[in-house]
Amino acid sequence: MVRLLLRFSEKVVGQPITAEVILEQGVPVNILSAHINQLGGEILAEIPSTHLDKIVKAFRDRGVTVTVRKLIEVDSEECFDCGACLSLCPVNAITLEKDFSVVFDEGKCIGSTCGLCADACPARAIKLTR
Amino acid sequence: MKKLTKKNKRTVAEINKKIKNGDVQVLTVEEMKKLVESSGLEIAYKEIDVVTTGTFGAMCSSGAIINLGHSDPPIKINKAWINEVEVCHPGAAVDLYIGATIMSETKPFEYGGGHVIEDLIRGKEVELRATAYGTDCYPRTRLETTLTKDDLNQFYLINFRNCYQRYNCATNSRGETIYTYMGKLLPHFRNATFSGAGCLNPLMNDPDYETIGIGTRIFLGGAKGYVMGEGTQHDPENRFGTLMVRGDCKKMNPDFIQGASFTKYGTTLYVSIGVPIPILNEGLAKKVAITDEEILTDIVDYGVPRRTRPKLGKISYKELKSGNITIHDQKVRVSPLSSLKKARIIAETLKSWIENASFYLSAPVERLPTDTVSKPMKQTKEIAFVENLIHPAVTCREEEEVKAVAKRIITRSVNHIVVVDDQEKLRGIVTSWDVTKAVAEGKEKLVDIIIKKVVTTTPDEPIEAASRKMAQHNISALPVIDREKKVLGIITSEDISKLVGR
Repeated sequence: MVRLLLRFSEKVVGQPITAEVILEQGVPVNILSAHINQLGGEILAEIPSTHLDKIVKAFRDRGVTVTVRKLIEVDSEECFDCGACLSLCPVNAITLEKDFSVVFDEGKCIGSTCGLCADACPARAIKLTR
Repeated sequence: MKKLTKKNKRTVAEINKKIKNGDVQVLTVEEMKKLVESSGLEIAYKEIDVVTTGTFGAMCSSGAIINLGHSDPPIKINKAWINEVEVCHPGAAVDLYIGATIMSETKPFEYGGGHVIEDLIRGKEVELRATAYGTDCYPRTRLETTLTKDDLNQFYLINFRNCYQRYNCATNSRGETIYTYMGKLLPHFRNATFSGAGCLNPLMNDPDYETIGIGTRIFLGGAKGYVMGEGTQHDPENRFGTLMVRGDCKKMNPDFIQGASFTKYGTTLYVSIGVPIPILNEGLAKKVAITDEEILTDIVDYGVPRRTRPKLGKISYKELKSGNITIHDQKVRVSPLSSLKKARIIAETLKSWIENASFYLSAPVERLPTDTVSKPMKQTKEIAFVENLIHPAVTCREEEEVKAVAKRIITRSVNHIVVVDDQEKLRGIVTSWDVTKAVAEGKEKLVDIIIKKVVTTTPDEPIEAASRKMAQHNISALPVIDREKKVLGIITSEDISKLVGR
């Protein structure tokens, strides 16, 4: 799943854009939170990562500003590839490469709904974005 | 150059001559292992003069000694802090020791002595605060200043235990996540961690310490350093040898020395160490050919907070580095805690230093001891265990009514009733508070108010560990159970208070 932050301006907020995108694309869009009124606002939504490009395009074509929200941010300057996070990840999003580099697959990460790795990082290089 | 035979051995002086001439043959220890495998021991021995090793791990018994120079008027420092981390004043007026594990008073568990050392090596400015009682010759009683490494007269890493030959693989039997010096361990053996670089480790490749001892020049924190001797708790017989090392922090590279934080455990310093091993004889060529498969260590249950923790089996570093191991027939993911990538980079960097003639080998003045043992602590006072304080638990069954249980609380004058089944196995717990609340809300069935997730203890748990559990969970009693979850009794915070007050 991927999280999208959808920003609606005053100009477009009156139209049923989210409903239109769901119907047009036939893809479930899960609304996690919304702060919106007639002056505009934003919606945090979750969609299957397989449909990311199409959904983003559909929203953008309708004048919505779309930001793909990162669930996790790994500071590669701070990370020294110790691997302490590795065994904590329930979705195998963290792996050790052949050269023993620690690699994060952000597509697999489930972010703050899990967060097991963040406080185990001795370099404090992992930040969960909320 | 003389011809090498089995009897005709190399010397460190000869190797240094080759380094100077630019024809020394160096391999990282991983490359050497491959060469031995492909071309055989004899050829590897004849062709290769030196192999380089490396490790980059959390080494808690690390620290740095600094000399500040004298202030005017002068001060004989009594207490001092750098970036709010208390530093120790082990000697005369303005010498300080920054211990890696001392935590910041304002940001504990996030910043500590290890970070101070790293910041100084990075060239950052740090804040020093000091107090003193004042003497006739050192009248000053307060001092505040900022410092960088350039302002210090001496800035030396003096680490009294580093570079363990190998280390345990840690896991956790408890029903809760624990935070240890071996990292975060999930409940019920759901993960494991290990430390050490296995076949890259310096001492593992010279296990009889033929070439390592006082005065051995090494790679330390990205600069040249020296072995001062064996480290504390050096335990050669069990292949848990350690090193005491010293190095000039002013010359170190911050990529190779890093402050670190272990949540709910403390701060430490990741230290990089690389030791060159001169292949003085064929025996050494054989020793450095040791593989990860041949290096075994114990899987240890860190869920048991005792000096001797239960061992759950043996495991090789090959399996550990694969990312998965098996514990109790379950596949378990395993994390390294020391950076294997950095260990390799250290071995490669040291190799290039030797090839470029910027690093010469030194023969030890005295070899590391091979016969010392690491003893447990002498304790003059017996410690108390749960079994010393246990008393029978007042119990009830799930199907009972709240009223009956309320009555039992009064007649037996207790605050905790342990809920058990027909086999006396633990089902839950109710407290006098839960019962009072149920009465107030008109609830009749006990089953509606039972707390099912019960924090428990065992007879062999030290009282201090049990007491910590109560404090962490904000509760005042722990049912005592056996392996089959059968209730043996209960201990309460009142029992502990009485013990302390005795």
